[in-house]
Amino acid sequence: MAQFTRRQLLRTGLAAGALVTATQCTRNQAPVGTPNNPATGPTVNTNQIKDVTLRFIGTGVSQINEIKQKAEEDLGFKLEMRALSTEENNQIAITQPGQYDVFDGEYFSLPLVVPSGNLQAIDVSRITDFDKIVPIFTTGELTSGAKVNTSQGTKPSKVMFLTDQNSTEFATEPTGWATLIPFQYNADTLGYRPDLVGRQIESWGELFNEEFRGKTSILDIPSIGIMDAAMVAEALGLMTFQDKGNMTRAELDQITAILMEQKRAGQFRAFWKTFDESVNLMASGEVVLQSMWSPGVTAVKSQGIQCVYAPLREGYRGWGGGIGFSKSLSGIELDAAYEYINWMLDGWVGAFLGRQGYYSAIPENAKKYMSQAEWDFWYEGKAASEDMIDPFGKKLESKDAVRDGGSFEQRMSDVVVWNSVMDEQPYLVQKWNEFVAA
Amino acid sequence: MLKGWKSIEPYLLVTPQTLVFLLFLVFPIATIFVVSFWEFTGYSMTPAFTLDNYITIFRSPVSLATYLNTFKFVGLVWFFTLIIAFPVSYFLAFHITSLRWQIILFLICTIPFWTSNIIRMISWIPFLGREGLLNKLLITLQITQQPLDIFLFSNFAVVLAMVHLYTLFMIVPIFNSMMRIDRDLIAAARDAGASGFQVLKEVIVPLTIPGIAIGSIFIVTLVMGEFVTVRLMSGGQAASVGSLIRNQIGSLQYPLAAANAVVLLVITLAIIMGILRLVDIRKEL
Amino acid sequence: MIAPMRKRPLSFYFLAVFFGLFVLFLYGPMFAIFILSLQGPDGALTFPVRSFGFHWIASLFFQQQRIGDFGAAFQRSLLLGFIVMAVTVVVALMAGLAFRQKFKGSSFIFYLTISSLIVPSVLISLGIGIAFNLIGVQTNWYSSALGGHLTWTLPFAFLIMLGVFNRFNLSYEEAARDLGASEFQAFQHIILPLIAPALIGVALFGFTLSYDEFTRTSLISGARNTLPLEIFGMTTNVTSPALYALGTVTTVFSFSIIAIAFLAYGFFAKRQQP
Repeated sequence: MAQFTRRQLLRTGLAAGALVTATQCTRNQAPVGTPNNPATGPTVNTNQIKDVTLRFIGTGVSQINEIKQKAEEDLGFKLEMRALSTEENNQIAITQPGQYDVFDGEYFSLPLVVPSGNLQAIDVSRITDFDKIVPIFTTGELTSGAKVNTSQGTKPSKVMFLTDQNSTEFATEPTGWATLIPFQYNADTLGYRPDLVGRQIESWGELFNEEFRGKTSILDIPSIGIMDAAMVAEALGLMTFQDKGNMTRAELDQITAILMEQKRAGQFRAFWKTFDESVNLMASGEVVLQSMWSPGVTAVKSQGIQCVYAPLREGYRGWGGGIGFSKSLSGIELDAAYEYINWMLDGWVGAFLGRQGYYSAIPENAKKYMSQAEWDFWYEGKAASEDMIDPFGKKLESKDAVRDGGSFEQRMSDVVVWNSVMDEQPYLVQKWNEFVAA
Repeated sequence: MLKGWKSIEPYLLVTPQTLVFLLFLVFPIATIFVVSFWEFTGYSMTPAFTLDNYITIFRSPVSLATYLNTFKFVGLVWFFTLIIAFPVSYFLAFHITSLRWQIILFLICTIPFWTSNIIRMISWIPFLGREGLLNKLLITLQITQQPLDIFLFSNFAVVLAMVHLYTLFMIVPIFNSMMRIDRDLIAAARDAGASGFQVLKEVIVPLTIPGIAIGSIFIVTLVMGEFVTVRLMSGGQAASVGSLIRNQIGSLQYPLAAANAVVLLVITLAIIMGILRLVDIRKEL
Repeated sequence: MIAPMRKRPLSFYFLAVFFGLFVLFLYGPMFAIFILSLQGPDGALTFPVRSFGFHWIASLFFQQQRIGDFGAAFQRSLLLGFIVMAVTVVVALMAGLAFRQKFKGSSFIFYLTISSLIVPSVLISLGIGIAFNLIGVQTNWYSSALGGHLTWTLPFAFLIMLGVFNRFNLSYEEAARDLGASEFQAFQHIILPLIAPALIGVALFGFTLSYDEFTRTSLISGARNTLPLEIFGMTTNVTSPALYALGTVTTVFSFSIIAIAFLAYGFFAKRQQP
């Protein structure tokens, strides 16, 4: 028995030793690496990097097999993708750090994920095109005077940078250490079936309109749903907020009371948690007006059903998603993860997700992989010069259609709130659960 | 020597099973119990001894409503599974006399049980929806002009799906009890001049009580902790204790979820103790 | 041999109709998804059926799904089902053998086993999840989820074994011993053949309970999904009839397993007859 243990120990020791040497070799061989010349890296360790498998966690909107395949083809290593609900995704990021290498998550989750210490800071100097990323994420401004510059909530730029490599504190100014590197974001709003609604929807307030009693739905994710509810309540003049992105207990009490009243009156048909549920609700006609995500709208349209992603006079609710690294990632896996980020920002992913309505972190890179017609439609807000096709090859819009809400600038400038984690987050969750259970 | 072996043999034989339950049943539940007294800091839990979680549960009007709603589901599902399972078992046990047919018909009842529960659940959705088959039928028959909403994403849908999923758990024990009733006893009752109804009331029902009790235990346990059916069939709108716990887990409030789990366990066990007073399970094997 | 034809009572017809309605209730909705899975490429998740075809069934096998990997999840569930089946049969058989005699602590173990049936499933997965988390062990489908499944299959198997041994005629075994058979020989040649049908039942039961278990797998399956988790993921992530196609295919698969099991059973039963 004792001998066996010793032998095992010896073997483990040897293996560990070999591993250390191997990693050191890689380190030595890896280029000292100016960020402008990262391409030399992979060619040197192609052989080892081939054996790398990066385990991703994320939501169904971006854990897509087409992306996985293309990345494996271009980069040479393996990816494992796991599509979860937003809630499970954050939950695993926080409680099970050993189960993922790469976290594909939303910025609003960071005030919860970062303090857990499960993410490692991303060295911005290793991201080739970092300086081309849209300023919404870095400085928090788009164009001068845009509403988005003063938007409320967990704005990505507030949680984009850490004060230091080993810090879990958010920096107020850009630093060399990032939490997530963005690759997708959008301006969210209400979606509706024009054939069943019969008129134009122009205000968030319509969600509580008695006309649609029993035919509306709202997102059952506290950090997102509460913002939609706040937009509705404010639009109807039911209540006002000091700061919608950081409500007080009294404000939370009041807004959930309003929600419960609506629920009891039968305003909602159902609640949804993942975008596909919203698609099924809308496509089957169970719901005619609801808060929606862009791929949901495109999925409804690609079934040949009309669906409008309404630009509303009060503005949009924004969100941003990016890639972060697990603390446990190191050595050659970490190199692979940096390679993935550089590949991800190069434009193919941006163009692919662009066809479901998401914006790329570096639009000019995505443009390289889009046709002129696609670029004009999705980013410029111009009429489609040909039929628009979704990422999976289904027809989405006929020639001459115009994107709801217009151009990239028009839409993103009008973001007034972001998905939010508040100081009173546990209380928010408690009140939200009460609303769902009411 | 042999005597010594004989006396430790049963202990060795039950060791694996006991280990499984200690590791995966007792230890986890003990952990839940401990964690239910911990504190929650917004994103993680820290060891402490606080009754706050329990106080939150007992103070909140919503948890009372949720528990009541869960009892309502348990009661309705229990009622419907019983009134379906009893006649079905009776038919199989007493009216079908050929063993071969008994097996075939019994299999017909069990086969859907081998399919994914989730698939069986969602298969109701195209049937019950606003544009579903049922509404189409009602409109064609001119029973209603407008499609009815109450079929889907409602308490009705939740109870319907649960009855669909769980009736078998009631049929098997009742059928089992009925098959063991001595047929001579029934014949004797008949000979003594009892009517069919009297035989049912005086002989069959009393002797089937143990089966009903065991079936009821299954139903109570299954429905008390339910959350998937509740979520899918109510469109996320109905609440049960199980879904409350899941929501709390989803927002990482493990201590609160643990406290709710403890309360749920205590209530479930209390109901089952009540049922067990009616029947000694060990005799029923 | 043939029972004399007697007039069936009225209640027979009532109950036969009731039974028929019940079967319709059981199978009806499954037919709905069966029909909806046989659609052409333009099919949707709800009625009406737009065109007939095998597009979605074929797409499961030959086309990559948008997200997830149902093939791998299926293999994982199959493997897990077989592991659970093997462990359940062996462990429950051992416990059943132990319970043939009274021993101190037997009722404690009996109630421990029964309590595993009556603890709501959500507690099992929550508890195992937190426990693994606290002791710093990764959850995995072949460790924590396997344990979770055993808490569900073992009590059933154990109860079946108790029932079998309760009715077991001890005189065969004693006769064998009197003829000089060792304990193991008696087990191998007398007990095992007699309880073999029950063991097949336990195995089949163990496999299907595990293969279909959702609640006692969720939260504790680790980084990879079993089939029920994958299906649940699909219900919230897939908007095409591929979901129903998956339902149809897995149902057909379950039916084939049962059919094969029963054919095998019938085959062996026949062979045993002279």
